Amino acid sequence: MVIEGLLYTKDHEWARIDADVATIGITDYAQQMLGELVFVELPDVGKQCAGDDELAVVESTKAANDIYAPVAGKVIEANDELEAQPELINQDCYNAGWICRLQITDVKSVESLMDSKQYEEYLAGL
Amino acid sequence: MLQNDADKSQSSRAEKAPEQTALYDQHIGLTDKSHIVSFAGYLMPLWYSSIAAEHNAVREAAGVFDCTHMGILEISGAGAGEFIDLLTTNSITNLKPGRAQYSFILDTSGGVLDDVIVYRKDRDEFFVVVNAANNARIKNWINALLKDEICIDPEDAGRKVSTTPRVRDLRGTDCRDDCRVDIALQGPKSPDVLSVLIRDKEARLQVANLRPFEFMETDIEGIGCLVSHTGYTGAKRGFELFVHPDKASRLWEAILQAGRPLGLLPCGLGSRDSLRIEAGLPLYGHELAGEFGISPFEAGCGWAVKLEKEFFIGKTAMEQISREYDMKVARIELPAAKGIRPVRQNDGVLDKNRRSIGWVLSCARIGERQIALVYADRESMEENDAVGLYYSARSRSQIQQGRKQSIEKGELLEPDLTGKVVGRFAKF
Repeated sequence: MVIEGLLYTKDHEWARIDADVATIGITDYAQQMLGELVFVELPDVGKQCAGDDELAVVESTKAANDIYAPVAGKVIEANDELEAQPELINQDCYNAGWICRLQITDVKSVESLMDSKQYEEYLAGL
Repeated sequence: MLQNDADKSQSSRAEKAPEQTALYDQHIGLTDKSHIVSFAGYLMPLWYSSIAAEHNAVREAAGVFDCTHMGILEISGAGAGEFIDLLTTNSITNLKPGRAQYSFILDTSGGVLDDVIVYRKDRDEFFVVVNAANNARIKNWINALLKDEICIDPEDAGRKVSTTPRVRDLRGTDCRDDCRVDIALQGPKSPDVLSVLIRDKEARLQVANLRPFEFMETDIEGIGCLVSHTGYTGAKRGFELFVHPDKASRLWEAILQAGRPLGLLPCGLGSRDSLRIEAGLPLYGHELAGEFGISPFEAGCGWAVKLEKEFFIGKTAMEQISREYDMKVARIELPAAKGIRPVRQNDGVLDKNRRSIGWVLSCARIGERQIALVYADRESMEENDAVGLYYSARSRSQIQQGRKQSIEKGELLEPDLTGKVVGRFAKF
C-alpha cells in the first residue's frame, strides 16, 4: 500500500511534508519485509541530521535495520508511543506508526524524494 | 535497510541464482513474495503468517516445513557400513535397520564438515541427510575419499579407504523413481495428522508407535513415504517424511488439509530457527564450526563422537579436544518484555562480576523471554548461573555514543540485561 501525497526514499522511508516540518516513517513494504517489530530506537530531540544520516533503528524478530533521514533537518519530536508499542508500525505505518518529525533545514533535500507514483514504479521493479 | 539475517549469512555461499524448491508454487500460493528469501541457494519463505504464530503452532498443535532443500545421500552395497564408520564419528555397530542416529563428518584435522543424520535401511543400505549449505562439499569430500585422494590418517599414511560402496545423490534426477526429498511435520498433533492420512490401520498404529530415531516405509494418502521420528524443533512428537519430489506438493497439500482443522500451520525459516534455538539444537556455522571453530564436544554433542571406535576421520584431534576445552555452548534465558532490544549474534556474554566471557551465537524471542545460545567460559556456564548481556553496537550513532562494536574476552562491561543459564537442551 502506497499513500498519495507522501514522499518516498529507495530505502522505503516515507516523509509527509507540512510547511517546513517533515514527519517520517517506514512504508508498508518495509514493515511487511521486516515482520513483527519488537524494538524501536528513537532519535533524541534536537539531533541534527543531514539527508541520509541514521535516524532510528527498528528491530524485528529477525533483523535490525537503520532508518535514514529522508531530508536534512533537526529532530523536533519523536513518537514515544513506539517504545512501548513497536507493533504500531506494523498495524498503521503511515499514521500511528510515525517515527519522528524533522524541522527541515535544507529544502533542496526534499527534491530528491519520489512521489507516490514514482515509488510504486520503483516497487514494481524490485 | 531490509536485509534479513538469512540473506546475510547465506548470500556468500549462493553464488549462482537461487533455485526453487519442489514446493515453490505452494509457498507462492501461501504467502507474499516479499517473505521469500534466498537461503543456502534456495528460495524459501521466512514466514507465512508470522514467526510467533508458527512457533506456537508447533509447540501446541503442529507445523509443516519445506525441507526439500536438505541433501540426501545414499550409501549402499558391500562395505557401505565400513565406509560410514570411517566417514562419521558415531558408531553404526549397534544401529539396527529401521533406526537413525545423529553424527558428525570431520576433516582429517578434526574440523566439522557437517552434522548429519545417518539412516540404516538395511545391513548394507544407508542414507545420510546433510545440511543444504554443505551438500556439495560433503559430496566432494566423499568422492575424494573414495578416489583415495586424501590421506585419511595423519598418523598412519598406510591407512586406506578399503571399500567402494555405491554413492548416489537422492535429489539428483538420475535417481528417477528412487529420488527423495524431505518434508518435516512437527509438534504434538503431528501423529494425529498422519493418522488421518494413513489408510492402512496397522501402518497407522506402527507410525503412532515409532520411537525417536525410528523409521518405516508406508503410504500416506496413497503416496509412498519413508516416515522417520526425527526433527529439528525439539518437539517430542515429530516426523520427517521422505517422498519423491514429484509427489512432494501433493503430500504437502494433503498435510495442510488434514492438519489445518487441528491447528497446523505451514512454517518458514524464521520459526524453524526460533524452535531449534529454544530446544538448544546447534546450527552448523553458528553453534558448530563457524567463526569459533566449535567442536562437537564444545557444542554439547560429544556423545555422538565415539572415541572407543578403532578409527574415524578426525579421531586424533577429537581425542585431544575431548580432554581439554575451556569454552562451551550454553543456553541462556533473558527477559523480552516490550521495549527490550532483541539480543543478537556477537553480543557480549558477561559473568556475575561483569567480566566478558564469551559471545552470543544465536537468539530467539519467544513470548516474554529471549533464549540465546552462547559460546562462553565453561566454568561460568553451569545451570542457574547468573549471566549478563552487553549489546554490541549496531549503528554508527551507537558507536559514537561509546558502545563497543566488538567485545574482547576479559573486558569489564556494564550489563544491559541480566539472565541465567538454563539446561543445555529442552524438549517440548
